[in-house]
Amino acid sequence: MVQLCEVEFRYPVGGFALRIPMLEVARGESVAVIGPSGSGKTTLLQLIAGISLPASGTVTTNGTPVNLLDDAARREFRIRNLGLVFQEFELLEYLSVLDNVLLPYRIHPGLTLDSDVRSRALALAECVGVSNKLDRKARKLSQGEKQRAAVCRALIAEPKLLLADEPTGNLDPDNKQRVLDILFEQASDSHSTLIVVTHDRDLLDRFARVIDVKEFHAERVKS
Amino acid sequence: MSGWGPIVAAIAGLVGLAFALACEPGEAERPPGTEASARDERLRVFAVAYPLQYFAERIGGDAVDVRFPIPTGIDPAEWSPSAEVVAEYQAADLVLLNGGGYAQWLERASLSRRRLVDTSVGFRKRQLRDSGGVQHAHGPEGEHAHAGVAPMTWLDPELAIAQARAVADALITVRPSAAVHFESGFAALERDLRGLERRFAVAAQELGGAPLFFSHPVYPYFIRAYDLNARSLHWEPQEVPTEAMWAEFRDALAEHPARWMLWEAAPESASKALLERLGVRSHVFDPCARPSESGDYLDRMRRNAEEFESLEVNRPPPSSVE
Amino acid sequence: MTDVLFLAWRYLAHYRVKTVILVASIALIVFLPVGLNVLVGQSAEQLTARAEATPLLVGAMGSPLELVLSSLYFESDVPDAIAWAEVEAIEDSGLAQPIPLDARFRARTHPIVGTSLEYFDFRGLRLAEGRRMAVVGECVLGARAAADLAVGAGDTVLSSPESLFDLAGVYPLRMRVVGVFAASHTPDDQVVFVDVKTSWIIQGLGHGHQDLAAAGAAAAVLKQEGDLITANASVVQYNEITPENIDSFHFHGDLSEYPLTGVIAVPHDDKSGVLLMGRFERPEVATQIVRPATVMTELLDTIFTVRAYVVAAIGFAGAGTLATAALVFLLSLRLREREIETIVKIGGSPARVAAILVSEIVVVLVLGAAFAGVLAVLASRYGSEAIRMWITS
Repeated sequence: MVQLCEVEFRYPVGGFALRIPMLEVARGESVAVIGPSGSGKTTLLQLIAGISLPASGTVTTNGTPVNLLDDAARREFRIRNLGLVFQEFELLEYLSVLDNVLLPYRIHPGLTLDSDVRSRALALAECVGVSNKLDRKARKLSQGEKQRAAVCRALIAEPKLLLADEPTGNLDPDNKQRVLDILFEQASDSHSTLIVVTHDRDLLDRFARVIDVKEFHAERVKS
Repeated sequence: MSGWGPIVAAIAGLVGLAFALACEPGEAERPPGTEASARDERLRVFAVAYPLQYFAERIGGDAVDVRFPIPTGIDPAEWSPSAEVVAEYQAADLVLLNGGGYAQWLERASLSRRRLVDTSVGFRKRQLRDSGGVQHAHGPEGEHAHAGVAPMTWLDPELAIAQARAVADALITVRPSAAVHFESGFAALERDLRGLERRFAVAAQELGGAPLFFSHPVYPYFIRAYDLNARSLHWEPQEVPTEAMWAEFRDALAEHPARWMLWEAAPESASKALLERLGVRSHVFDPCARPSESGDYLDRMRRNAEEFESLEVNRPPPSSVE
Repeated sequence: MTDVLFLAWRYLAHYRVKTVILVASIALIVFLPVGLNVLVGQSAEQLTARAEATPLLVGAMGSPLELVLSSLYFESDVPDAIAWAEVEAIEDSGLAQPIPLDARFRARTHPIVGTSLEYFDFRGLRLAEGRRMAVVGECVLGARAAADLAVGAGDTVLSSPESLFDLAGVYPLRMRVVGVFAASHTPDDQVVFVDVKTSWIIQGLGHGHQDLAAAGAAAAVLKQEGDLITANASVVQYNEITPENIDSFHFHGDLSEYPLTGVIAVPHDDKSGVLLMGRFERPEVATQIVRPATVMTELLDTIFTVRAYVVAAIGFAGAGTLATAALVFLLSLRLREREIETIVKIGGSPARVAAILVSEIVVVLVLGAAFAGVLAVLASRYGSEAIRMWITS
């Protein structure tokens, strides 16, 4: 499903790099990515998503060599295949919860916002427990509600690969479990692959595999 | 069944049309102005003096509707129409003025200058100052008199003709289409006035400068026209003069030994008798200032002419009574 | 496209204060020059219409503009007087119909205009109530004057003294209202019309008082020499003309020297107009004759020049406003960097983002312009009424 081969990513400053000789995640597998703050967890996710590009090597996701596509193709790829939950949720504050959930359908001409999509959005909101807040503006939500709304947005286009960056970071223990439940449930329902960045060690046993990014740390080769 | 459609529609249309016609204003419902406008074809002329009314009627005939709306029993010299009557004057096609300050109410009325016809405009220079009226002074303007020129220009047939001519000209200006009609009316009037003129002239010549008295100073134009040796008093025919007036008169008579007194109207019999005793015979010379049942302007002026002609024949010797 | 507009609209609706301010600024900056043009155009039209409806105007030598403003709009100071003889001279010339005007007094704020009946026909004034004045002491009111003074036919109106410290003895005259004209939407609506003779009575040139020869006036009589009676100031002067005392009203001196502030001359034809103007070209003539249309055209030329400067100034202000609006927009872009990045990370194209941002600008501009358009329509529909009220107030 996801294959990173001989990938090297250099940070613009600090002479610091990630070097990933080979990383494979199978279809339907759930993987936790751990590591200390600033160790490159988010970068790994962005390489997989095609948001960041490696200096060398190939990133193949769902059979597509993502890093070889042009910008437009990579965006097209992302919106059709990936569900992204960002570390700071990144909801559009001036939109309601529902409009935030539907956002992927409004920013891409290739996706059609029909009644099926709307009912799916309502079902997802019901599922994560924000169905009573659908008309509320994002800025008026609590942290937990924002988190759950962001999850709904990631899931709306029924992605094959779900990438979540600290999706439980700001949640109380109950809500952590609840959000994880939703992610796992969705992933298993649609046989999606789930890659979650976390530093919450209590949650690790729910994942089939744990990857520590420290393995990929490398001093940058001075050229 | 469908064949009935057009027929029903046609019937409905006819019924509607009938209603529409029924609601159209009929002959009887015409606004009242429509018929009146035919009558208004006649020119509406208002006069401020009776002789002018007479002249306009003679000149205009049926083509004009002439009014001098003075109530009976009012002295034209003192008449001042109400604002409502002035409004009637405003509505006239022409307002005939005698000029020279006659009808002083004109000074206080709003009338359209375009419609005013000053019939004495042709003889301004021949107008006479009026001797009546009181001067007064108060405030910075100083002395001023409430007196204008003498009225009653129409007692001189020559001036009357000039005034009639002005009336005719004004009518022709307003209604050029009736010029021929107006001119023939004027010509007939002028003939009559010239006849009067000749009679007065002959009679005056026969009088040959003999002294006369007029009871009131309203005759200056007549006096001037025939160069009469006349004096005017301030006597009213319906009042018997006081002792003082008689005394004054006797003094005047000594200087001015007249044998006739011409009155505006028949005097009181007492006045008449007293005058007879002084050798002065009373005659009536109607100034024709207002309409009268005794006849129109021409009738009355002809009667004046008869009276005037009679002076010579009846002349009694001045010393016979004394 | 709907989605783009939807997102743009959501953003604008959310930040509604900012949006309203931007729309209002745009609306104002668009409306100001348009509205100014509309209003100036309409007021020019009305001023011109009145001036063009008044073929010739005769008045004392002096500022033609003052003469026109005084005689047509009853504004400005009272020009020097000309004599009634001018009316007779114009009439006698047979070239034009003269209409006298004596506009020097006021009844509270409303001009009292002494004129003749011809004026009403000339201006096409229609009576809404009552009749025209028939005798001195009567007045006919313009619609606004009647409304402001709250009087109708049968009531009275008092003339105001020329000035507060008027020692010349111009007493207020109580005038009887006999008619009210229908609104003409011209300065005539403001006027208390009287016969010019009534205006002279207000000036003290004509008056009514007790009959000095009557017994009741004996106390006021200083001396009597023959027919000349001299009286002191206690003679009862009437300050209202009634049917009872009207006969005592009279005028002193030579009527032809009585004053007027202007004379409208309506030439019988174009040639007569030219001939009449020629008569006033002699240097020894102390009066002037003007074509109000020409005078107003000169005034309007000045107004149009000023308007051009004002429009230019508004143009600069508009450019400034647009620059400020652009700055506001650019600053908001910096605040929205994160949001834009999110959209791109999810899969939105930069073109899509640009489309949303451009839509926001377009919506603001369109709303502003539409609002300005509404204002301009209102200005053109009600502006002329407003201007008339301003002109006639």
